[in-house]
Amino acid sequence: MRAKRKLANVYLIVIFVILYAPIFYLMYYSFNSGGSMHDFKGFTLEWYKEVFHDTRLFIIVLNTLVIALLSAAISTILGVIGALAIQMLRKRQVKNSLLTLNNVLIVSPDVIIGASFLILFTIMGIKLGFISVLLSHIAFSVPIVVIMVLPKLQEMSPTLVDAARDLGANRWQVLSKVVLPFITPGIFAGFFMALTYSLDDFAVTFFVTGNGFSTLSVEIYSRARQGISLSINALSTLIFLFTIMLVVGYYFVNKKTGKSNGMGVRGR
Amino acid sequence: MKQLVRVFATIFIVAFGLMFLAARLNMTEGYSGNNTLTIYNWGDYIDPDLIKQFEKETGIKVIYQTFDSNEAMMTKISQGGTTFDVAVPSEYMISKMKEEHLLIPIDHSKLPNLKYIDPRFMDLSFDPNNKYSIPYFWGTVGIAYNSSMLGGKKITNWNDLWDKDLRNQILLVDGAREVMGMGLNSLHYSLNDTNEAHLQEAKKKLASLTPNVKAIIGDEIKILLANREAAVGVVWSGEAAEMISENKELNYVIPKEGSNLWFDNMVIPKTAKNIDGAHQFINFMLDPKHAAQNAEYIGYSTPNKKALDYLPKNIANDKRFYPDPETTKKLEVYENLGKSMLAHYNELFLEFKMHRK
Repeated sequence: MRAKRKLANVYLIVIFVILYAPIFYLMYYSFNSGGSMHDFKGFTLEWYKEVFHDTRLFIIVLNTLVIALLSAAISTILGVIGALAIQMLRKRQVKNSLLTLNNVLIVSPDVIIGASFLILFTIMGIKLGFISVLLSHIAFSVPIVVIMVLPKLQEMSPTLVDAARDLGANRWQVLSKVVLPFITPGIFAGFFMALTYSLDDFAVTFFVTGNGFSTLSVEIYSRARQGISLSINALSTLIFLFTIMLVVGYYFVNKKTGKSNGMGVRGR
Repeated sequence: MKQLVRVFATIFIVAFGLMFLAARLNMTEGYSGNNTLTIYNWGDYIDPDLIKQFEKETGIKVIYQTFDSNEAMMTKISQGGTTFDVAVPSEYMISKMKEEHLLIPIDHSKLPNLKYIDPRFMDLSFDPNNKYSIPYFWGTVGIAYNSSMLGGKKITNWNDLWDKDLRNQILLVDGAREVMGMGLNSLHYSLNDTNEAHLQEAKKKLASLTPNVKAIIGDEIKILLANREAAVGVVWSGEAAEMISENKELNYVIPKEGSNLWFDNMVIPKTAKNIDGAHQFINFMLDPKHAAQNAEYIGYSTPNKKALDYLPKNIANDKRFYPDPETTKKLEVYENLGKSMLAHYNELFLEFKMHRK
């Protein structure tokens, strides 16, 4: 039994090393004074200095974050409403076909979605830039949120709603005091999925950026023609550390409030 | 519910805060004023100091955006919805853009510095009289090799690649025109040849090269050659210059039989809003001092004859990257061969790639 456990642990460690090795490799070379990703010549912070001096890059990072936060938040709201609507449908067939339509959007290749957005925006006369990127990110995030929230709604026993109605809650109270608190974990999961999708999306964004507005993934890709400068390594390292801090912070916040979060049906 | 509202309110506040910060930065950098010029260029293909200098001299604010391939750039421009004032496509893309009426003719009277461009590089087949384009950088296709790995052996022409000693040592760039051109040139045909018999001959000749070919790849060639993973590579001169700066053992040669001459050119796409500013920018980049500064930063060859005086001697006299007229006479630009012929080239190249050793 004990040997088995050991084996399992070794397996876990190996997998995590494999998963994280490329990131640490990249971080290691961000300190290389040699200027390339193969031949470590000496320690330097020059690349980090370059990142902080490059205002254009900084604006692009800000743009990326703004797009990610806004699109994730808006698509979460739309997605939750959509999931509630699908859940309330009585007819099985309609429900299934709506769900299928939703899933097709998740499965269809990003490149096709991006190209069709480009065509749509130019036909509608929307200038490529912040608005076009935001709209397209919202559009591809909504189906993801629906998928994340729907299982939580299905999990909820219908008697819960009946009981609330029996006890005199009106429709709004049922929604805000019973349903929403119950599906809160699903909502957050959807939000974070949408956030990561938006942060690392390249294909769709690539088509709809323009007029000086760009996001990080598109910018890094364009810079790659001449071989990626190590300042990109430095930037990636900073973003990675930032993400780790967020995850750790989220964990501690959750741990602190987690206990009182229980079922959430008690009228908080 | 309360918790949800609170969290989402925070998210929106943070997002708008960041947006405000970005807008402020854009303002202080001047990106949101009226007097702006949008430049669409390859990633990392200009000395940023020159942009700052241009802004100081003219008071025009430059918005700089980058692309990674000619095709991507053309899609963006032909779709509209953007306001690019200056773009920098490669030569074969210019004839395509001309066909689709995506370019605005350049007013030569607004470019007093045009006289500094080497006449060798003016009035070429892809744009007669330079009506739509002004050369930005140029280069060749040639052979980069590591002489110490070859025991001091020198390579001077395409046919040297067929040497039996080079078994499994050659890296080829993954481009139909480049590889087929190499095959045609090695037989002393033009790399724009459309004679079927010549093409078949070139294909046969290329097939006999396969034992020497280690891989047909893209940008990785640079790293692999610099790391001594292979001794020989067929590459563009700009990439060769970068490799040599990383690994001094490497050398670059333009094959004697002839080769390709390529250009990246400044054009004014039809989406331009600030046509006057675009001319000012092109003229600014044609100034010999600025051209020299840019060439030194990027490491590619400048077509500006006067700029050579401002470049360090060891760069300006480097015959590998600034070949004499004797050599450039043998170089050809790729002509637009038409869709069906290009498809045929691609087919032959594919057959070569599939050829078994």
